Amino acid sequence: MSNYAFIGKSMPRVDSRAKVTGEALFTADLRLPKMLTGKILRSPYPHARILNIDISEALRVPGVKAIVTGRDVIQRKWGVFGYTQDQQFLPADRVRFIGEEVAAVAAVDEDSAQRAIDCIRVDYEILEAVFDAMESLAPTAPLLHDNFPHNINVHVPINVGDVEKGFAESYYVREDTFTASEDSYFQGEPYAVVARFDTDNNLEIWMPNAGPHMKAKPLSNALGIPLNKIRVRKITIGGAFGGRSEIAPADLICALLARKIGRPVKIVYTREENSIATRQGHALITTIKTGVRQDGRVIARDVTCYMDGGAYSSTGPIAVSVPFLCMEQAYKMEHVRYNGYRIYTNKPPRGMIRIHGRAFACGVDTQLDMIGEHLGIDPVTMRLVNAREPGEFTNTKSHVASCAMKETITKAAEKSGWNDKWGKLPPLRGIGIGCNSVQTGFPMGIRGGSQAIIKLNEDGGATVISGVVDNGQGNDNMLVQIAAEELGIRTEDVQLVTADTEVTPSDPGAYSQVSTFIGGHAVKNAAENVRRQLFEIAAKTLNVKVDDLKARDRMIYVKDSPDTGIPLKKVVRMILAQGKSVSGQGDYWPKVDPKREWVKNPFGQMCGAFSFGTTVAEVEVDPETGKVTVLEVTAAQDVGFALNPLVLEGQFQGSIAMGGQGGILTEGHVWDGGSVLNPTQLEYKVPLACDMPKINTIIIESNDPEGPYGTKESGMSIAMSAAQAYAAAVSNAIGVYMTDFPLTPDKILEALQNKVESETPNQNEDVMEKALELIVPAV
Amino acid sequence: MSREIKFVLNGAQTCVAIEDDWNLLYLLREKLGLTGAKEGCGRGECGACTVIVDGLAVNSCLYFAVEIDGKEVLTIEGLAGADGTLHALQKSFVSNGGIQCGFCTPGMILSAKALLDENPQPTEADIKQALAGNLCRCTGYVQIIESVEAVVDKSSGDINAVVRETGDSD
Ligand code: FES
Ligand code: FES
Repeated sequence: MSNYAFIGKSMPRVDSRAKVTGEALFTADLRLPKMLTGKILRSPYPHARILNIDISEALRVPGVKAIVTGRDVIQRKWGVFGYTQDQQFLPADRVRFIGEEVAAVAAVDEDSAQRAIDCIRVDYEILEAVFDAMESLAPTAPLLHDNFPHNINVHVPINVGDVEKGFAESYYVREDTFTASEDSYFQGEPYAVVARFDTDNNLEIWMPNAGPHMKAKPLSNALGIPLNKIRVRKITIGGAFGGRSEIAPADLICALLARKIGRPVKIVYTREENSIATRQGHALITTIKTGVRQDGRVIARDVTCYMDGGAYSSTGPIAVSVPFLCMEQAYKMEHVRYNGYRIYTNKPPRGMIRIHGRAFACGVDTQLDMIGEHLGIDPVTMRLVNAREPGEFTNTKSHVASCAMKETITKAAEKSGWNDKWGKLPPLRGIGIGCNSVQTGFPMGIRGGSQAIIKLNEDGGATVISGVVDNGQGNDNMLVQIAAEELGIRTEDVQLVTADTEVTPSDPGAYSQVSTFIGGHAVKNAAENVRRQLFEIAAKTLNVKVDDLKARDRMIYVKDSPDTGIPLKKVVRMILAQGKSVSGQGDYWPKVDPKREWVKNPFGQMCGAFSFGTTVAEVEVDPETGKVTVLEVTAAQDVGFALNPLVLEGQFQGSIAMGGQGGILTEGHVWDGGSVLNPTQLEYKVPLACDMPKINTIIIESNDPEGPYGTKESGMSIAMSAAQAYAAAVSNAIGVYMTDFPLTPDKILEALQNKVESETPNQNEDVMEKALELIVPAV
Repeated sequence: MSREIKFVLNGAQTCVAIEDDWNLLYLLREKLGLTGAKEGCGRGECGACTVIVDGLAVNSCLYFAVEIDGKEVLTIEGLAGADGTLHALQKSFVSNGGIQCGFCTPGMILSAKALLDENPQPTEADIKQALAGNLCRCTGYVQIIESVEAVVDKSSGDINAVVRETGDSD
């Protein structure tokens, strides 16, 4: 390992300098000649028929240049899958959530655009709306989409083994229900789009994205122009977390406005628009029935999950499946049944989020603790007994090649001082543990692989062309690290041309945690290809075999005699002098089962590798206020191999903030019907610097046989397990198993109160207060 | 109503015509082309728009442009030396991984600078407090706090020298 020049070393990211000087340009920072400002008119109703849209007055507003409505779009619904095509961008007939796009204006400035928006007259016929997933299933509920009976958008049924037999054989069986409200991404950067058409009618478009190629194809469909005319450009991106993966209505709207007026248009979302009109996380109701042996090992599990999907499908089938898959990867069991339903409601559409399905994951782990308590087995042992091991298959038939789940558990427990703390902490202090596993990749069909092209210049510098996008996690640096390592040059010798659909070959995007595993792998293969070309010439010149050579620090050396070498630049020039170029391509396709399909056939190899993570959290609860103070968090993840520990630690810490600190303690949307009452950072509490606990990070390397250098996903299984650990720690602190997330102070106070009441036979208030004093230490 | 204001922007005397209802963020981004300050909310909730006015870190989205008349404004664009040498805080954010997506970074660095100018030896709690108005969704703040601490760890004389060198507005 230590033989690498850059791989495995902590190094500052190549994109950092531009970011500390303010030079890095985000979409909203772009300014093009003759650019106009776009604004979107949104539906004020959760469910309504559009009878008429009158734009005549709006067109007369000074400064207005173009207006688009449902009449300007191709009537073709968007869906990530053929069977989930349900969303017409700029619908002409019907709106299904408050905030849905109805019309848009391009004007010389924001004020004029807003004035025109205010002048658009829309006649609506208000329809009955439904805001609750369970109510939406009722036969009397209004139907959101005619072709989806009972408002069931997706149903994923999985049945492996015989759960009833498993329960019958179990020593102990219990069933519990866990719930969580919707959560939100709150990326630093609010959504923004800039679009323009060039003189040849090519669309140039900039927006935060998690995969330029994933944006380009649906844009080509929606605009009715060929894919090679869609140029999604590279731009600095202010975070994604799962929320920037599909085409957004604003992408199409901005392009339509730009095409209509023949000038560039920029749309920048407000914070509220980013919350209500991009994507949110799903609300969940998850019922888990688990049967175990006397030693705590799970034999059978039956899970039913209802996800509130909002008005449209988005990544529906994936969203329904992933929480189940994470659990079946993390823990063993013989028999399992899953029925996951994604239900339409008249709320904003929901997508995948970093801690997608928190009620599911926290439910599984909370229930393990409940079972452990019943059996007299501590949480760490419960997890060790059930932990996934390398070489096994998941229930849905994915082979798990590399897995250090058990090590993550033992290392996290050790570092956190678990044995000295479990059961020994003072009242209102608690410790909890959570485990999770995340996919390194989803089956992505024809966009499942990545290709990279590398060319070397006569001065020995390299240009790397790849579709991999950097949302902020450091993918650009990852590509530079790999290219420099393989070519034997310095990182400053590498220039990237990435995430630009005009030039970069197809790539799955920074989606499903595959950028390194697939995109990085392709760059590695391309670099090996180019290096081979160099070595062939160098070997002849040095009179050695190709296998005897190595490239390092701009030199090609003979391995055993480091004094014999030739500058890499010279070899490049020798090849050029022979009338040949020095360039090459490489690609990588994950070894997944092509027949696996989310709904119809959820069996077979899911992805190339799985990551495993364990988090331990220690908390203290204030019984007066219900406020939770987090004292210490320890996170251990099997990342395969740590490409850049500095970046990895940042991923762990960010995951703990979003998954545990925010995801379990504060974050959740509150509603009045279809209106989000907390769309901004003032009311929706994302963690602040002063909230963050002491964090210990432990990197565990299982060296995946397939991942480049042994790497696989990093960070996500920490976000998930942090949520589980925080939930467990709070439950442990107050002595009540909490089942509705997030665990806000009001719920904690209520749980404490109920606990006292249930432990107090006499319901007299006086007695209750005394009892409360007993469990609450004097301040 | 439009009027003319004079102020020192990143060390340079500046004179611009503004409208009464403009805020400083709008003036910087839309009229002066300084897009380092970001708009994350436009209402004082996120700190992405932080700039330094007369030594204090302020949310420029809430600061009326008229109010900077006669004052000194430092934006992220003015923090590095004229020759491109990074300020100690900028260097530290780079080397300690205090940056992920970078959207919060300009505001974060300027809040940290205002803190260090006023209190060259802050404790960890001081740093967390000073940065509490700057939201970061990516990092979990740990490496940001470490980036600031790494600058503090150097001798205080050194820090003052660095701050003076880059606060080239007087
Ligand atoms: S943009 Fe000024 S505080 Fe958010
Ligand atoms: S680095 Fe992304 S918001 Fe701070």
